[in-house]
Amino acid sequence: MGGAGAQRPGRLMRPGPLASLLWTGLRRNLAMTGAVIVTVTICLAMLGAGLLLRAQVHTIDGFLLDQIEVVVDLSDGITPAERSALEAEMRRDPLIAGVRYETKKQVYERFRRDFRGSPDVVAGVGPEDLPAALRLTLADPRASRDIVVTYTGLDGVEAVRDQRALLDPLYRFLDAFTVGAFTLAAVQALASFALIYTMIRISAHGRRRETAIMKLVGASNGTIRAPFVLESAVAGLVGGLLAAGVLVAAKVFLVDGQFARQTMFPLFGWAPVWESAVVVLAAGMLAAAVMASIALRRHLRV
Amino acid sequence: MIVLSSVSKRYPNGARPALIDVSAEIGAGEFVFLVGPSGSGKSTLLRLLLREERATSGQVIVAGRDVARIADRRVPQLRRIVGCVFQDFRLLPNRTVAANVAFALDVVGRPRHVVRSVVPEVLELVGLGEKADRYPDELSGGEQQRVAIARAFVGRPRVLLADEPTGNLDPTTSIEIMSLLDAVHRAGTTVIMATHNASLVDAMRRRVLELGDGALIRDEAGGRYDQTAPQPLQPSTSPPPSASPPGVVPAQPAGTAPAGEHSPWAAPARSGPVG
Ligand SMILES: Nc1ncnc2c1ncn2[C@@H]1O[C@H](COP(=O)(O)OP(=O)(O)OP(=O)(O)O)[C@@H](O)[C@H]1O
Ligand SMILES: [Mg+2]
Repeated sequence: MGGAGAQRPGRLMRPGPLASLLWTGLRRNLAMTGAVIVTVTICLAMLGAGLLLRAQVHTIDGFLLDQIEVVVDLSDGITPAERSALEAEMRRDPLIAGVRYETKKQVYERFRRDFRGSPDVVAGVGPEDLPAALRLTLADPRASRDIVVTYTGLDGVEAVRDQRALLDPLYRFLDAFTVGAFTLAAVQALASFALIYTMIRISAHGRRRETAIMKLVGASNGTIRAPFVLESAVAGLVGGLLAAGVLVAAKVFLVDGQFARQTMFPLFGWAPVWESAVVVLAAGMLAAAVMASIALRRHLRV
Repeated sequence: MIVLSSVSKRYPNGARPALIDVSAEIGAGEFVFLVGPSGSGKSTLLRLLLREERATSGQVIVAGRDVARIADRRVPQLRRIVGCVFQDFRLLPNRTVAANVAFALDVVGRPRHVVRSVVPEVLELVGLGEKADRYPDELSGGEQQRVAIARAFVGRPRVLLADEPTGNLDPTTSIEIMSLLDAVHRAGTTVIMATHNASLVDAMRRRVLELGDGALIRDEAGGRYDQTAPQPLQPSTSPPPSASPPGVVPAQPAGTAPAGEHSPWAAPARSGPVG
């Protein structure tokens, strides 16, 4: 007796019947699932946008590490002794990685090179107008403010210019947008949870006969919950795919198509796009599944 | 197979207990009628056996397990041992007969080859081999109950609970369902059937447990529906288990309680053809 009835309790449903349950549930719940997908897509697109903005900040940081230095303009009256004393002090400074002296002539040539696109500007400045300078590369570019404070006003120093400080507005702009994107993503995540919660309630109602039969014939709790969690995870996956598509489109049309022509700064490449897409897909699916599990505690007694 | 020791059940909002100090023992392979007036606690008793409810006090043992102490996640195992059919059939309207029966195997993870071979067998057994592809709303009540029995039986439970299985059926169909449950019993299953159908009980002459206001007031082998009914002419010899159900059409009209007390089985038609 019970030969056919003896079976392990934890056995899961086969993929075929499970898929058919999932499919009927999705069809029955089409409008609601669509609403969930839309919110999840917006949420994940915002999350992805935030990630890409952060990638852009990193890209600029990397660029600055190489390119941007603190420039110490030397007064015209500085003596060679004063200059070597200043240089020696700088070489002892742990915040400074390198010191390079540029003569007035070299400074002028660099200026002509940097502004070769604007002949009017070049024409207005003569070879003697620009001061000789010490160009400092920093051990930590973020410490530039300290350097400025330390060397401003020393003998023979006319001015200390932190080129990174010029970029502060850009950084503030990027940071603000990053925070904005993440905030919107969080708000949309809450909205998604509310919708998934409702979706599960409606779904539990639509499936109540199936659920009752499953309980009656001894389906495990996991099996009873699986179609609901999968339904939500599918919505999360579709939302994730759409959001990933939005990120790719933003890279192609907005970043490469628009910004690349408008700015001299380097823009992030494809790697951050793929990384963000993967994060967005995984986060979408997992978060939707977890949200569904939470909602199930409320709406499905097993 | 089933042991009840001083079982009492009081629902949280119940004025009086639904079951009071019920003790009984039902052996493996027995057939038992559970009778008693409406509200006497028959369905409550069956729900305790399925762990849909827990006893307030006393002990319920099914197949050696103390039902109240089964961990929540092991309750499904109990339900695979204890099958159940109801007055209102509880079929899935958007699945065919065969799919309804297969569903019970699918959701407990039985392999496909098992489902494919066992489902037609069981449908043949309940006499619905020809109607495997029909939808429930294309079947008579008796046929729907056959499907429900097939679904409960297909996993080969050791106990089959039937809560007024003939409650919605006419007398002739009731006899057919009775004979089907008898066949399930003869296949070795312990069957407990709660019923108001006096003529079936009187004709079958099996063990009768009678509840009155939640108390067990009678436990009689080869009993009749009514304790006060005249004793049978021949001495009380219970018919052998192989006996088929009576040929007499019962005089008592069937159908007592309304279908679907508090459950999702109210809507009549299937919501959409899915196959
Ligand atoms: N879920 C519940 N909550 C509260 N009281 C309940 C609940 N279910 C049943 N009862 C009460 O328990 C008692 C027994 O009910 P039960 O359904 O077991 O009777 P029954 O013998 O099956 O009746 P019937 O023959 O009409 O089906 C009744 O007084 C009923 O009102
Ligand atoms: Mg009842």
